Amino acid sequence: MSYFNVLYAFVALPILVALYNIVPKKIRPILLLLASYAFFFSYSKFLIVFVMLSSLSIYLAGRKMSSLESKKKEKLEGLEKEEKKAVKETYQKNKRNVLVFTIIFNAFFLFIFKYLGFFVKNTNHLVSFFGGNNFLPIIKLAAPIGISFYTLQAISYLVDIYREKIEAEKKLLKVMLYLSFFPTVVEGPITRYGDIKDTIYEGTRVTYQNFCFGYQRILFGFFKKMVIADRLNIFVKIIFTDYMSYSGPAIFLGAIFYTILLYMEFSGTMDVVIGSAEMFGITLPENFRQPFFSKNISEFWSRWHISLGQWFKDYIFYPVSLSKPVKKLTTGIKKTFGNRVSSLTMGGIALFAVWSLNGLWHGAGYQYLFFGYYHFTLILLGNIFEPWIVAFCTKAHINRKSIPYRIFQTVKTCILVFIGELFFRADGLRAGFSMMKRILTDFQFHHIGREIASLGLDIKDYIVLAIALLFVLGISILRERRIPIREKISKKPLVLRWTLYYVLIFAILIFGAYGKGYVPVAPIYADF
Amino acid sequence: MEKLLEILEELEPDVDFENCENLVDGRYLDSLTILSLISEIEDAFDVQIPTVEIVPANFNSAKKIWALIERLQEED
Repeated sequence: MSYFNVLYAFVALPILVALYNIVPKKIRPILLLLASYAFFFSYSKFLIVFVMLSSLSIYLAGRKMSSLESKKKEKLEGLEKEEKKAVKETYQKNKRNVLVFTIIFNAFFLFIFKYLGFFVKNTNHLVSFFGGNNFLPIIKLAAPIGISFYTLQAISYLVDIYREKIEAEKKLLKVMLYLSFFPTVVEGPITRYGDIKDTIYEGTRVTYQNFCFGYQRILFGFFKKMVIADRLNIFVKIIFTDYMSYSGPAIFLGAIFYTILLYMEFSGTMDVVIGSAEMFGITLPENFRQPFFSKNISEFWSRWHISLGQWFKDYIFYPVSLSKPVKKLTTGIKKTFGNRVSSLTMGGIALFAVWSLNGLWHGAGYQYLFFGYYHFTLILLGNIFEPWIVAFCTKAHINRKSIPYRIFQTVKTCILVFIGELFFRADGLRAGFSMMKRILTDFQFHHIGREIASLGLDIKDYIVLAIALLFVLGISILRERRIPIREKISKKPLVLRWTLYYVLIFAILIFGAYGKGYVPVAPIYADF
Repeated sequence: MEKLLEILEELEPDVDFENCENLVDGRYLDSLTILSLISEIEDAFDVQIPTVEIVPANFNSAKKIWALIERLQEED
């Protein structure tokens, strides 16, 4: 059952809200767990056993680490400094073993379901150089829904206990709900146990305000997905399938439209997800913060899929850059070249690890790895050249805070993002390069009008798209200025408020791209 | 504290470190600058900053960073 299914948003969700308010407070988290498992089952049937296994494994590992910590504290009493050190090291080692074993256990399932096919294909390819033929059998497995998301949550739970940032949960039910919570399980946001545990189990009654705010957010998500993303999908599908028949500008327009489609689909899903949780008084972290207003690629990634970026920062970037081998490696560099070069090296190594994993996390394919390394290169180059850019601007009397310069930075960032997304969407790396080549070499505009008209959208579609995009842009500007839109609307007179809601509902019903001739966008991030 | 302000000003000369309260959340310090900062702090104050302490709450202002340094020195 997709989040954009009417059955989910306008049948199952209101029924669950009603039941949630009827049952006693203590039962409410159990009801959420049952609803989450029913939701998971609707997607993945008996593969649900894997999310249960993950929950059980991290619950037991958390308990074990917690008991080791208690035993360590007992043993430390009355010991001398040297003895204390030895006891601490022993227990830390035992805790680390539990952590590493459980991470491997969970990552193993992720590997089997997501990367085994890619691994087999590449191994067979390698063996074929030595005369072997189909060395390993090709297996195609359907993965449990959201395995890439809940596995990252599972790892964060374990590492946070290991780092003593959170305490191990005593109740298995709570860990089960944390990993499978129905609004977040398919496409995130990737939550942290410490941030969510207080509200998710509290069982707060659904209030009228939360109910209204939740549905406003859900409607906005439906609007982005059905009016914009599903409409753009027609154009994008044709361009990316039959790119050889189109000119460079048309292909570049396809890359722009795909980036907008991806944003509307993913951020629209987040609106539905955050709105659904909000009804139950659960505040989920925002996953987007107006990414297209970014000044550079590094900033873009702190505004796009924020929870994934934050996960990589906390569990890969800092641990790798501050690890003993990397520090040892950069000590010599620091003595010779200074702090800036050593920090760039440290950060560069960690960024490489982050973007290799980020690329692979998005999918088992070379185009995803390329996507990762493309952004790694842009971020690293951005940091290396920053002092020179600052010096150049000072010499050329360019005010870096002026509006024209900010516009230049934003446009440059958007173009780089469009190119990255072109490779991301292309049917393999070879197709990506062919498309890029056509953009750079087949630069003719005289067919563009005819081409745009032949890409499945008519003039009415373009008008609807323009108005809808301006509407989303307006809301984005208000959000960027930190203006609380929903609070402002809630203070307006009843008639005006409901007129606004009806306009949004009818806009979705009338201008939503569904029915004959439209193919809705599949939930893109659900496949990651 | 003065030594810390010197380090910060050398890394990002345009920022008003004495008054800024959102160094990380306002993106005045990005991840790579934080790495440089950590390296400088570890050398200057003879402390080790564990990964778990690298959270915005500890780096959002010069005062917060100073409090972290003092806490780590005490723990040693």
